[in-house]
This record gives sequence, structure tokens and C-alpha cells, in this order.
Amino acid sequence: MVSCSIENNVPVGHHRNWVHQIGIKGEFPTLGMSFEPGNCMHCDNPPCERVCPVGATYRRDDGIVMIDQDACIGCKYCIEACPYDARYFNEETGTTDKCTACVHRVYKGEEPACVATCIGNARHFGDLNDPKSEVSQLLATNDYYRLYEEAGTGPAIYYIYKGGRKA
Amino acid sequence: MTVKSENEETIQYSMSRRKFLGAVAAGAAGVSLAGLGFDRLQVYAEQHGDTVRTTVRDGDVYTLCEMCVWRCGVAAKVHNGEIVKLEGNPDHPHSRGKLCPRGQAGLGMTYDPDRVRTPLIRVGKRGEGKFRKVTWEEALDYTAARMQEIKEKYGPEAMIFSTTHNLIQQQFENLMRAYGSPNYGTQRSLCFNAMITANSLTFGLDEPGRDYTNTDYIIYAGRNLMEAISNSETQDLVEALAKGAKVVVLDPRFTKTAARATEWVPVRPGGDLAFFLAMLHEIIENDWYDHEFVENYTVGFDELAQEVHNYTPEWAAQRCDVPAAQIRTIAREFSLAAPRAFAHPNWRTSNFENSFQTERAIAVLNAIVGSWNTPGGLQNATGEGGGIELGSIPQPPYPRTRAMRLDGVPWKYPVVPLKLGIFQNIRDAVLTGKPYQAHGWFVYRQNPLSSIAERRKTLAAFSKLDFIVTIDILMNDTAYYSDVVLPEATYLERYDPLTVVEDRVFLRQPAIEPLFQSKPGLWIFREIGKRLGLGDYFNYESEEDYITKQLSPLPISLAEMKDAGYYEPEKDAGSEEQELTFHTSSGKIELSSSVLKRVGFDPVPHWEEPARPAGNQFYLLTGKVAQHTQFATQNNKYLHDLFSENPAWMHTSAATKRGIENGDWIYVESKVGKVKTQALVTEGIRPDCIFMVAGFGHVSKGLHLAFREGISDSDLHVSYTDPISGSQALSQTFVKVYKA
Repeated sequence: MVSCSIENNVPVGHHRNWVHQIGIKGEFPTLGMSFEPGNCMHCDNPPCERVCPVGATYRRDDGIVMIDQDACIGCKYCIEACPYDARYFNEETGTTDKCTACVHRVYKGEEPACVATCIGNARHFGDLNDPKSEVSQLLATNDYYRLYEEAGTGPAIYYIYKGGRKA
Repeated sequence: MTVKSENEETIQYSMSRRKFLGAVAAGAAGVSLAGLGFDRLQVYAEQHGDTVRTTVRDGDVYTLCEMCVWRCGVAAKVHNGEIVKLEGNPDHPHSRGKLCPRGQAGLGMTYDPDRVRTPLIRVGKRGEGKFRKVTWEEALDYTAARMQEIKEKYGPEAMIFSTTHNLIQQQFENLMRAYGSPNYGTQRSLCFNAMITANSLTFGLDEPGRDYTNTDYIIYAGRNLMEAISNSETQDLVEALAKGAKVVVLDPRFTKTAARATEWVPVRPGGDLAFFLAMLHEIIENDWYDHEFVENYTVGFDELAQEVHNYTPEWAAQRCDVPAAQIRTIAREFSLAAPRAFAHPNWRTSNFENSFQTERAIAVLNAIVGSWNTPGGLQNATGEGGGIELGSIPQPPYPRTRAMRLDGVPWKYPVVPLKLGIFQNIRDAVLTGKPYQAHGWFVYRQNPLSSIAERRKTLAAFSKLDFIVTIDILMNDTAYYSDVVLPEATYLERYDPLTVVEDRVFLRQPAIEPLFQSKPGLWIFREIGKRLGLGDYFNYESEEDYITKQLSPLPISLAEMKDAGYYEPEKDAGSEEQELTFHTSSGKIELSSSVLKRVGFDPVPHWEEPARPAGNQFYLLTGKVAQHTQFATQNNKYLHDLFSENPAWMHTSAATKRGIENGDWIYVESKVGKVKTQALVTEGIRPDCIFMVAGFGHVSKGLHLAFREGISDSDLHVSYTDPISGSQALSQTFVKVYKA
């Protein structure tokens, strides 16, 4: 989260990504706790895009959902529309902002800032259309789930887990 | 938030949180920089005449992190004289391309608006927060004059020197030894004296290494690597878990490490010793130990076997609250996995007066199963330093010190290494004036006011001193109560002496010039040394000259080092397998310690019953989180944003009994202090324990963000010291809890 904020100049108090703690569940001493990191889900069918009155939010051909900061009028509709609470209003710029998948890094061949620094090796980034990519391999060899899939958003963030480890 | 008013000569730290917004809105003389980006900090500094110089160079500068003691490699990305991002250096074995939250937040320290900008001399009363801004010339002259006065009047032993683990420690010690004081305080006794003393006596080395790559089984009893992050070791543990290693965590609290482990054992605080003694019992009585290794490389097995004969799992279960069957299972599994298994030496175990025995029990447990220098076991290697010979700088011999040390080492604590000492005893000696009265304290990059148990006592000790000088980056609590505060450049702004990690030499170098009037420690020590007439001990012209001299035996120039950030000498081909040797008196692993026997302690690990809280009391536990380092980072805006307070964890049943709900305000009271905080009611802790994160509750009004955020465990902790290793026994503090 710190790496993301500094990489993307996110004002202190806002965040483009998060880590949700799930648990502590159970009764002492039989307990469980896990962590669910997240950020903009870069949906196939992004509700934020549909509600934007000026077309500032758009989905690129590579799947990354972006906000045209020059076009955004700061109406905050998209903040309400996002079921993942992935967007925030940047008081310094007067516009809405969110994760860009560090598009400025990935096209230089670097990983997004959060992935690059993840000590837990929990975050992976790559091309899902390429069956040989690390992320495709991980999905092929692990169980996984996506958040609010039922809402039809088509999130591009997958949560992998080994059988039985899902919180 | 703090409002700081300053004019040209004086600076008065004052505080009114509620008035903060008003003051800013009114654009009053009081200036707050909190919340401004660092680019604007620079603009501010220029407008206000502070010295802000330009960049060393743009691009990536390879240097070493100092947000904790792990010292990861960092690539500092510099643009137009400003560091815009820090990344882990992939070429450094401690970072492997990654940084933890604190490492990422390093910019928050360098660009902290609360940086001490000029040298300061106190003009108000101690703790009033009133200082005069002075030139370096005046501050150094004054500091040296006061130190000289103390030396002449009371002898050099009347001046205490203390610092924490850092790359320039050797030069700080140089100043102390040239001055002639034996009174050296480190933070070790507040942390892992027990571990180092025990391992030195057993293996003849401070802290054995660990081979995670090949291990099948790890037991932790205090090390919480998922929260008290040591970057590469945390990565190692993550990988070991992914590969299917079994990990057992003994902890009274359900930590994040416990959550990731294969087995969590909510052991009674202080009872971990019984657990390990019973493991020894099981492994020896059942003949599961490594006969060949024990015979060839250890001494004292029979004494050990005799001692642990009665420590059955049933006996231990009553003392550590772990069922006998579980102890048996873990003992069997561990011995089967060995030598691809280790019981981790930890940093602290339960933190009781018996923790030295616990560390000894852990050390000999590894030894009897032959987990030494094996794939997946403990390693005959220790962290940084050594391996490559660096150039040294010629200097005269040190004067002989005749005075006994204030901390009782070695005259009262014969086995505590001099380099560790017993920090809390120094504070107590200032209070009692015994064996003699200290008069001055030189504090370098340390915060004893917050770190030593019983803050009130530390404050009282300060009031008995004639002179306190503190070198720091921020106006930390100790600096706030000092007579002179000298601003140091941060790790991103200065050179430090070189360090050797594994088979490479690494360089800490500036990514930008020091902000404001801050200066590198190498410069500060030399300037004070010169003024004390000790210039011969500081034979270097500049920081670069110092490092150039260190590099002299190596075929690399400083300029080349600066580009790469490290140097790796060519390896000798075909290095032979080395014979196992141990730097103990017997030359073998000492299951029974000849040194302990000689000085009158029991030579084999044995049971010492830890104190128990009375019926209405709790054990007070403290620990770390991934977002903070000790007492140093609470004012960092990025880290403060993520973790700003330290509520007290308590178990649901204990809370219900007292009518306390999650978030309620409560009092936590020990026999030395009382604090008001909020309750974090959880299932994740033993019902007889209270836990809080250490490092909060700062008293310096010079810390905008951290001032009185959360509470200080040092207000509650009672000073107990392990009589053998000198470790502070923090968890032996018991507290009452009631609704506020």
C-alpha cells in the first residue's frame, strides 16, 4: 500500500489498494485468519464506466480500466457505482482516481509497484490471454474465486487458494 | 497536531491538537507542514532560508535501507534532486528486489516536516521544548566543552554513551573509547541478550543462521516474521511454507505468523521453557537424538540427560499449558525431520527472567538432533560482517579505562558480553548514584526515554544528569529532553562505513545532499573528537575519504562502488569442506557449559518457575507490527496513516467478565503506571494476557503526528532483569484492566 501510494502520488489518507483481514474466526484456540488484498478489479464490464456522464472512465484494449483525468468532472458517480469501493476522490486534483495497474510501469516491463514489493509473494500480474503467462499457469493449477462475480462485472482480479484454505 | 512557532533564534514546540486547524486556516505565525508533499517542503525550505541543496545525481542510486536493522539494498529513484521512490535492490541478499512497508516509507522520514533542521541548544527547562537555533560551530564547541568539563571533574566514566545497532556504531565506539568511558549502552538487553548469550555459550557464535531452502520443520517461540518483518527471512519463511515445511509457532497470541503456521501453540508466557525441556526429555529418553553428532561435536550430554530426566511432557503440560500428547507429537516429528529441521533461536522468547534458560534449551535441542550446518538446519554462519578484509585507518591506542561499568558487566554479570551490556542498569545506576554518579549522557540514534521500562524512572535519571546530547533526525522523546540536539542526515543523504554481507561489500551512499543543516554521523563524530583533542582517532578528511581508505585493499574505486552499490570479489576456486569448529572453551558444542559452571551458574538448562499473575491480573505482552520499527517511525506520514494507535488486545471472555466491549475505553494498570486506551476484544489471545504494540505514546511535542498517539508500554513495564544474560524481562509485568 505504501509502495502504491508513493509510486502513484496518492494523497495520504487515500489508497488505491487495500488488504482486508478476514478473521480472526473461530473460538480460542481453534482460530483462523487470512488476508484478501485488492484494488480496482479492472472489470470486463465496469459499472463505473457505464455511469460516467462524460465518458472519462474507459476500458483499454488490454483490459486496464482508466480514468481520463482531463475529462473527469469530479461528480463521484463512479465512486458510488463501484461495488469494490476501489475509487476515491482526490481533493488535490478535484477528480476521481484509482488503480491504473501501474500501466506506466508494466509497459516498461516492470511489475506493478504492489506486485514488485510483495514480500509474501501473494500478488501476481500478467496477461490472462496468454496461456503460458505466470498468472494463467497459477489459475490452471489452483482453485480460485472472484469478488461479486454474480454482479456481472467480470472482475479481472482472481483470488487463488489451495483447496480448503479459502477463508 | 503540534503547532510550532519559530523565529530566527528560538524554537518553541507547543501543542494544541484542537487548535491546529484554526492555526493553519488563519495562516498564523505557527507553521505546520503536516500533509504537504515533499516537493513543497523543499519550496518551503527555500523560502525560509533553510539550506536545501541539489541532487547528487539523477537516476537510480543504490544504497542501504535504515528503516530497521535488517539493512536491505535499496534503489533510490532520484528525479530533479528529489527522491521520488524507493525500490528493493534485486542484487542485495536482504531485499531481493522487495521492500517492506517501512522500507517503502523511507521517504516519509527523509522528507518529514518535523526534521530537526539546525543544531539546537536548550534554553527552557528540560522538557519545556524551548531551544535556541545555533550554528554547528557553536553546538560542537559547546558539546565538547561540556564533555571535557565532565571528564576533568568526574573522570571519563561519568559520561554514558549509548547507541543502537547501525553501520557507524564502530565510529561511535571509537569516540567513546578515545574519550575513555567504559559506559556503553546498546538496546541489546531490551531485546535479545538472552539469545546471544545462550548461543555464544553453546555454539561459540552469536546467532546461528538458518537454512530455509531445505528445511522440513521449524519451531518458533517468539519470532513473529510475518509482522516483525525481516525482509529476506520473511520471504524465506513464505517460500518454506509454500513448499510444505511444517511450521510450529509458540505464542500466547494468534499472530499473523501463527495464522500462517501449520500449528499454533498458545503457550503460557514463561512456560515455553517447560515445553523445550520436555522436548529434550522425550528425544533423549526415547533415544531419538543423533548419537554420532552428539559424540563427535558436543560435551556434557550425560549432565543434560540427567537434568531433563524428570521433565516429562505431563510435568511440562502443567507449566506451559500445552497438552502432553501435543508435546510428544511435536518432539517426535521434530526428531524425525532433523537434521532438516530447526528450532529458531528467535530474538526474544517469552521475555521472562527464565528466558536465558529457554534459549539454552532451544540451542541444545538443535544440537542433540544434529541440526548444525546441515541442509535445512541451523548454520554455522551469522549475519553481516567478516569474510572480506577491509582497510582500516591508523590511530593511536585507546586510553585504559579503570572504572567499573555502571551496568554491572562483568563484575556482577560475568557472562554478559561487553558489547551487549545491560542498558536498563545504566539508567538505574544514574538514579542510585552507585557504584558512582554519572553526569552526562551521549545518545546517538536512540530513544531510551521510550525504550527502557518505567519511563518515569528514566525521566528522573535524566534530571540527575548535568548534560545530555542527542543526535537524531527527528525531535524524538529523548532529544526533546536533551540539552543539545544535533541533526543527522538520513540514510538517503549520507555515507556510512562499508558493510560486508555474505560475499559482497555494500555501500550506503547519499541519493541527495543532506536536507537543511543535517550532517552525517562520520562528520559529527570527527568534529566532536577534534574539539576534545582526540583528532588523531579520526584520521579521515571526509566521509568519502573514510570509505576510500576502507576500500584500499580491494581492486575497486569509490566511483565504481557508487555506480554498482556493491563489490563482489572473485571467489577462490574449489573451496574445501571445512572442519566443524566451535569457539567455545572446549572447542565443541557445550550442552553443559563450562563457563556457566565456572562462574557458579547451573551449567545445563533447567526449570525456573516464572512468576504468575494474581487472579485478577494479566500478563502484559508487547510486540511489533509490519508498519513500524520500535519507537522511530510513528511520525512517518505513510506509516501513521496505516497504523496510528495501539489498542489493548484482550480475550472475549476476560472482557465480558469486566463488562468491556470492543472499542471501550479502559485503564491498564501495572504496579508502576496506569494508561488509558481502547480495548480490542478478540479470540486471538490467551484469556490471561493483554497485548499492545510497542513504540507509541510519544511525549515529544516536536512530533506532529505521533505526539500522544496511542500509549507507551514503557509507562507500564516494570524493570526486571534476567540475572544471567541481563535481558529485560518485559512479559513479567502484570496488569489490571478495568473500564474507564
